[in-house]
This record gives sequence, structure tokens and C-alpha cells, in this order.
Amino acid sequence: MQVGGIVLLMLLGYLLVDGDYSWPVSLTWQELPAKLDDAQTWLLEQRTAPDPNFFFAILDGFRALADWLVTALTDMLLWLTWVGTIAAGTLLVLRFGGWRAALITFLAFVSFAVMGLWEESMQTLALMSAAVLLSLAIGIPFGVLAGRSQRFHRTITPVLDAMQIVPAFAYLMPVVILFSVGPAAAVICTMIYAVPPAVRITALGIRGVTADSVEAARAFGSTAAQTLFKVQLPLARRQLLLSVNQTIMFALSLVVIAGLIGGRGLGDVVTNGLYSNAALAILAGIAIVIMAIALDRATSAIAERTDPTRRHLTDRGKRHARVLTLATFAGILATVFAARALGADSVYPDEFETSTTVYTATIHDDLLRWIQDALDYVQDPTSFIFGITEPLGNFILENLLEPLRKLLVDSPWFVVLGGLTAIAFVLSGLRPAITTLLMLTAIGVMGVWPEAMDTASQVLVATAIAVLFGIVIGVWAAESPRVERLLRPLLDTLQTLPQLVYIIPFIYLMPVSRIPGIVASVLYAIPVVIRLVTNGVRGVPPAAVEAAYAFGASRMQVLAKVKVPLARESIMLGVNQGIILVLAVVVIGGLVGSGALGDMIARGLQRNEFGEGVVASLAILALGIALDRVTRGRRDPSRA
Amino acid sequence: MALLVALFAAACGEDKDDQSSGSSENAAAGGKDCGKVVLNEQAWAGSTANTYIAKAVLEDNLGCEVEITKIAEIPVFQAMADGKVDAVLEDWQHVDEYKKYIDGAGTVVQGGPLGVEGHIGWFIPKYLMDENPEFKSWEGLKGKEDLFKTPESGDQGMFLGGDPSYVQKDKELIEALGLNFKHVTAGAEPAQVARWSQLYKQKKPVIFYWYTPQYLNQEYDLAEVQLPPRTDANQDCKDDSKSGGDPEQYKCEYDVTVINKLFSKKFADSKSPAYDMLSKFELTNEDQEQVAKAIAGDKVDPEKAGQDWVEENQDKVDAWLN
Repeated sequence: MQVGGIVLLMLLGYLLVDGDYSWPVSLTWQELPAKLDDAQTWLLEQRTAPDPNFFFAILDGFRALADWLVTALTDMLLWLTWVGTIAAGTLLVLRFGGWRAALITFLAFVSFAVMGLWEESMQTLALMSAAVLLSLAIGIPFGVLAGRSQRFHRTITPVLDAMQIVPAFAYLMPVVILFSVGPAAAVICTMIYAVPPAVRITALGIRGVTADSVEAARAFGSTAAQTLFKVQLPLARRQLLLSVNQTIMFALSLVVIAGLIGGRGLGDVVTNGLYSNAALAILAGIAIVIMAIALDRATSAIAERTDPTRRHLTDRGKRHARVLTLATFAGILATVFAARALGADSVYPDEFETSTTVYTATIHDDLLRWIQDALDYVQDPTSFIFGITEPLGNFILENLLEPLRKLLVDSPWFVVLGGLTAIAFVLSGLRPAITTLLMLTAIGVMGVWPEAMDTASQVLVATAIAVLFGIVIGVWAAESPRVERLLRPLLDTLQTLPQLVYIIPFIYLMPVSRIPGIVASVLYAIPVVIRLVTNGVRGVPPAAVEAAYAFGASRMQVLAKVKVPLARESIMLGVNQGIILVLAVVVIGGLVGSGALGDMIARGLQRNEFGEGVVASLAILALGIALDRVTRGRRDPSRA
Repeated sequence: MALLVALFAAACGEDKDDQSSGSSENAAAGGKDCGKVVLNEQAWAGSTANTYIAKAVLEDNLGCEVEITKIAEIPVFQAMADGKVDAVLEDWQHVDEYKKYIDGAGTVVQGGPLGVEGHIGWFIPKYLMDENPEFKSWEGLKGKEDLFKTPESGDQGMFLGGDPSYVQKDKELIEALGLNFKHVTAGAEPAQVARWSQLYKQKKPVIFYWYTPQYLNQEYDLAEVQLPPRTDANQDCKDDSKSGGDPEQYKCEYDVTVINKLFSKKFADSKSPAYDMLSKFELTNEDQEQVAKAIAGDKVDPEKAGQDWVEENQDKVDAWLN
């Protein structure tokens, strides 16, 4: 209600205040980009100096470590040969995760082979494993600390927030400057995104260990270290494995971005295929989804099966398990040596040769042809579907995007600044309002006010669409378990499919430069909104629902008057999370013509306009924090 | 393959090269002489073409192990400086980077012209030029910008800008020429091509940043709008508006771009036979467009497209190897 009033006032301000009130030059720090350019030059000189100082020596050491790890893992996968790799993956999952997960793992490996993307898949697997190992090496100790010390937890939370809010696209530049291009840079970008969930979930797990168990351990005279290693960590094992699972999922979602800065593998195929062969980019995107699904199922199955709180093994059971493990490793080794002895290739071959004929071993070319046919169809401006999508794109542009952009960019800056701060105050309280004010001011001072407002208009339109559809579908899924079951694989796919992949068809279908980015960000954000809304509506106390029915309310009335209002907090959380996710993708839209901040970063990265690129990165961070605070609501800030 | 080796051996034998790298047999068989060469493929099909031609020659004739990286145009300078990339075969005159890495730090060296000449300009479909012959020159666009209106450009005409990573100055040109165009970025080149090719297929008006050599020029009939010519009077006219400033200093057509090969200092000093070959490596616009079309248009595997060209143009290849 109050929010509506503020928006109305902002509209009035836009209409009534005459003249040019764009962000004043006197309030802009104009030398900033040039200063940043100098800083870049300095950093490069330091990094490449013959005897770097301590700080750069550490950076360089880390870079060497990451490079070495990726190379070593890749070499190992190649040494195993493709037969050995399939055997190792499948048997390990079979031993620790059960036959269902093992079957999925096996099928995933087979699909990489058949798709003709074996080598790229292995490179991605190696890159990911390195990133995940290093993320866990940092994340778990920090998570344990955060789980044991409330103060440490409070200090580290805002840092973790920032790491997750900033779109990966924004920190590519600084990472390239500090670590050059290559696997190490890709690993580090991935870690920035994947460490926070590792820390959070570990902390949650440690704190979840009941006080009784810890007390009991102390009472028996355990030292702090003993309590940690013998009680807290084993009991939190399920959460730890869950954090491995989440770290992997987050890491995979960055594989494509990593392709932009010299990470090899599937991500590289996607980013470069965008230029030379869109069908190949889509095929590689599908391989990434398959890898994500297999890794997800395998790690969650392992987490379930090996949970010590669920399995109480007798001594005989333990011996049995040990024998099985030994048999698994023996089986893997036997397969690997047999494969090597029989001359299996390190990567799955494109064709098999017998003495008489050559068989094509993959359906790579067929798949590419099918995808290309589909792309040719969407590229054809006389096609049926184009007749729907083009006017729809134009409608969104002319009736939603442009008016909102005009309102935000052309309004006097103080009206927008005041309005957003006021909304933050009404919805979230005083402190978030102050943060919002500071962040927006920072954007102005950096001299990118119009660009940031342009980006904000795209974010708001995309979020509005995502939330609208998210609420409708989410409520529907909450009411009907069958709908939820049907949606689940679709939502999983949308969350793991690289955004650049589903941007590709929309470049053709909605040839208006800002729209493909918006569609892609809606698709990326909507699964989370749907899940939060579904959970919220499910979580409405049955007593309230019963009471409403008792008073004779119809099903629709119960939904509209009871369930949705009571689920308000979850829905608000959905809006909040939706905005952050949308922001991450709208920025990637810079690659396909979204303009504004995304374009500045794309240019900064590709044309070495470092200063501008970093300014745009900082502006995105500021905008993300501001929009987060505006929509955060009065929920408990300690909630993850 | 065997034929290639034989040919090469013969060619070398006649020449009696005095390099200590040993007999022609040795070089042909590969061995330690060449080792690993890292070439960077740029993001467009033409670059894929020349990179894979070079790869075919390096591998089949000199026995090198070739690795191809795909790093963006500017970051690759740093990669060469760090010795992670040995050569870039198609660089479109990144003058700022030349200053920094070639003249300044000296970590990258010039490798001479590739032989391909680049040309950037404003292009429109041929059918549009036929209907409006006055568009032959930029002055003919004045007052007619409305024709190019799209929902994206509001009440102005739409000028479709080039890939943000390419050399360009169109925003400044539009301003300096006083044209009522809105510069719309379509983003990466494939997205830009999607935009104009759809308008082309619908026979609608469109004006956009484009260049030659480009294999799509064989598929679409395009015509160029003449921008203010370069004369003695505007010698200092610039082509890359990266450094910003007064739009007037960009008010002229794009200069013909001599496309350069660049090598990392380390590679140039290595005395590798691969360096000798790449120094002599030279292609014409036609060579490059032909292979690019095979790769991007007909979807021939780049590896094969490169080898095919080498087989058909053995005389040119021999000249690089002597």
C-alpha cells in the first residue's frame, strides 16, 4: 500500500519536474576509470616482475597449484582410458551410492561418448573437480569455524553474501589481471561462487549436532579437537556431503563463464560455438546438463547411503563393506589395465576400425544436424512461431521496458534515489534503507547512473515476469503433487543449463536486443521462485485452512484469502531471490546486446577497457546490494 | 600424407637449407626440432580458417604438436606476454596494445602482414541500395533515417553496431555526421548477424557495421555506404573510438586494415622451424573466405577444411617452407 503511494509520488516527480536532472557532473568522480587503468598497469608490472613481492608470490603459487591440479586430473582421466574412466565412475557410485545412481552415472558417460564430446567432458570434469576440491579445502574449515563461533559467523556472512550476489561476469576482469588466463583463472572464478555454499552448509551441519552429544563428549573429558573430529564432524557428515553436492552444482553453473577466460572443455565449446557453430554450443550445453544431473544424483545418493546416523553396522556388516570396497577398487584397476593392454584410446574415438570396415562411433553429426534444423526453423522469419515471438518481444519492449527505463533514467536522480530508499524503509526497515541510499549514491559517483538505471529497468521487468509466472505455477504445484512431479526435471534442467545456451534460440526468435537477455533471466530465476512459493503455500498451517473451509470458503477463496496471504513471507523471499538471480543473467545479456552495464563489462573484458569494466562491475555489485535490501523485507537476516 | 612428406623432403633437399636443425629427413619426421606450438584462434570464422591452415602445415610438414587456444582479442596480448600463446595470425591493428606490449614491454613482436586486407564500413542490403541509389553516400541517408526505424530505436533510425570487441567508432561517426540514428548494440557477432539477416530475409531496410573479408558476403548481397573519404586534409582521422574524445576526430571512412601476425617474444627467439614457417605464412582474402565458408557455412570440420586447402594449394605451402 505505502509502496504504491511512493511509486505514485515518483511518477509525479517524473511528470512534473521539468528540465534535465541527470546525475550532476560535480558529484561524479571522473578520474576513477583512469585511476583503475593505472592500477591495472601497476598490477601487471608487479605480477610479471622478475622477483614478485610476497603477495604476488602467493598469488602466483596458488595459480601454479590450480594449473597443476587441473592438468594432473586431466592427465589422470586420460591415463585411465575411456573404458577405465567409465568403469571407475560407475563402480565407485555403485559401491557408495547404489545401483540407481550408478546407472545414471553410466548413462551419462555413455552419452558424452556418443555425443562425440568425450575429451571436452573430461576436461570439464577435471576443471570442476579441481575447483570443487579447492573450494572444499577452504570452505569446510571456514564452515567449521563459523559453526563453532557465532561471532565469526556474523563477520563472514556479509562477505559470503557479496560473493554470491556479484554476477560472475563482473569479476572476470580482476581475476584475469591477477591470474592471467587459463585453467587457474577459471578455477578461481568458480571458487568465488562455490565457496559460500560450502561454508554455509558446513556451518549449518556443525551447529545441527545436538548440544547433548557435545555435552556428553565433554563430560567424558574429550578435548576440543577430539570433540570436533570424533563427534561433531562425523555427526554432521550428511550435511558435509550435502555441501559437497551443492558446491559441485554451483561450480558447474560457472563452467561456461570459465570458458570465456581460457578454461577448457564444454564451457569453451559453448562460448566459442556461439560464434562459429551455434548447434555445437547447444549440444555442449546439453552435455553440461547431463553431467550436472549425474553428479547431483550420484553425490546425493552417496550422502544418503553413507549417513552414519541411519546405518548402524554390526562388525560383520563392516567387514562385508570393507570387502566390497576392496573388490570395487580391484575391479577398477583390473578394467583399467585390461583396457590399456588391449589398446583402448585415452579418449573415446570418433570411429572404430575393423579389418574390413570403419564404423562411425558417435552420433555427433546427426545430433548437430537435428539441432541445426531446429535452429534454421527458428531463424526463418516467415515461420509460424516467429509470428508470435516477434510481436511479443516488441510488446514487452514498447510497453514495459521502455516506459520503465524512461522513468528510471529520465526522472530527476533525486526522485529515484529518494523513492527507492523510501521503499526500502517501508519494506525492510531503517538499516537496509541506509544501505540502499549509500549503494545508489556510489553508483552515481562512479558516473554510471544512466547505465545502472537502464540495467535496473531490465532487472525489474524480468523479475516481475518471473514472479508473476512463478507465483501462479508455484501455487498450482503446491495444490497438485502431480504438477510438482512433472515440473521437477524441467526446473532442474533450467537451473543447470547454461544461460548462454537458451539465449541462442531467443536471439533469433525475439530479435530485439534487450529481450533475449530478459527471457533468459526469467527462465533462470523462475525455478527458484516456483520452489519458494510452493514451499510457502505448503507451509501454511493446516488449522487455518481447515477453519476457512469450515466457514464455507470455496477452494479459490481459501487460496486467495488464506494460503497466499499467509505464504507472503515466502513469496517476498521469492521476489528477493528472483531479483538477484535475474541480475546475474541480465549482465550476461551484454553479450547479446542488452547494453548498459553488461555491455560495459563485455567491452572491458574484450577490449581491455579495464577501468570502465571494473566500474561497471562495482556498479553491478552496488545495484545488487541495493535491490536486495529494497526487497529483503523484515525477515530474519541470519537466514541463509 | 606420405605424399606431403615426400614433397616437403624434396623441396627442402633442393634448397639445402643451412640451418643446424639437421637434414630434411629429420625436419620432415618431426622430432624435437619443432615441439609444441600454441596458436590463438580468434572468435570469427576467418580466423578459424587461417589458424587451421597453419595447423595442418605445422603438423603434417614440420611434425609440430599444435595446440589451439581461443582467448579473446585483447586478453590474448597478455597471454602472449606470459608465453602462454605463441602466435596470433590475424590481428586487426590493436594500436593501443601494440604500444603497450610491442613498443613498450617488448614481450610481443610483429610477425608481418598476413596478406589479408581488412575493410570495415557501413553496409546495407543490395535491394535497398537499388531502391535508394542515394544511399551510395552517407549524405543520402540524411533525412531518410526514419526508414530504418524499429521498436528498439524509438523515433530514430536504427544503426546496428558491431560486436563490442571489434574496432569501431560508429557512435562518434553518427554524431559527427549529424545523422538521426540510434546506435543499437546487438552484442556478439552471431547475435548481430541474426538481427540483420532476419531483416534481410524479410526484405526490410537495415544499416549495420560490417566488414570484409567475411564468408557471409558470399551468401548475402550487400552494398556499402560511402563514408567521408580519407584525404590529405584529415590524415589524423582515427578509427578506434576506444579512447573517446571529440567525435570530429573520427569523421572519416575506416582505413584499410593491414592484418598482422603477432608472435610472443619467447617464440620468436626460439629459432623453432615453426617460427620460420609462420613468418612466411601468407594468405589472400579469397583463400581465407573460401576456407571460412567451408567451416562456418558448410560445417566442414575445421581440421579437414585446413588440410583440404593445403592439398589444393601445395605451391603456396612450399613457398612458406623454404
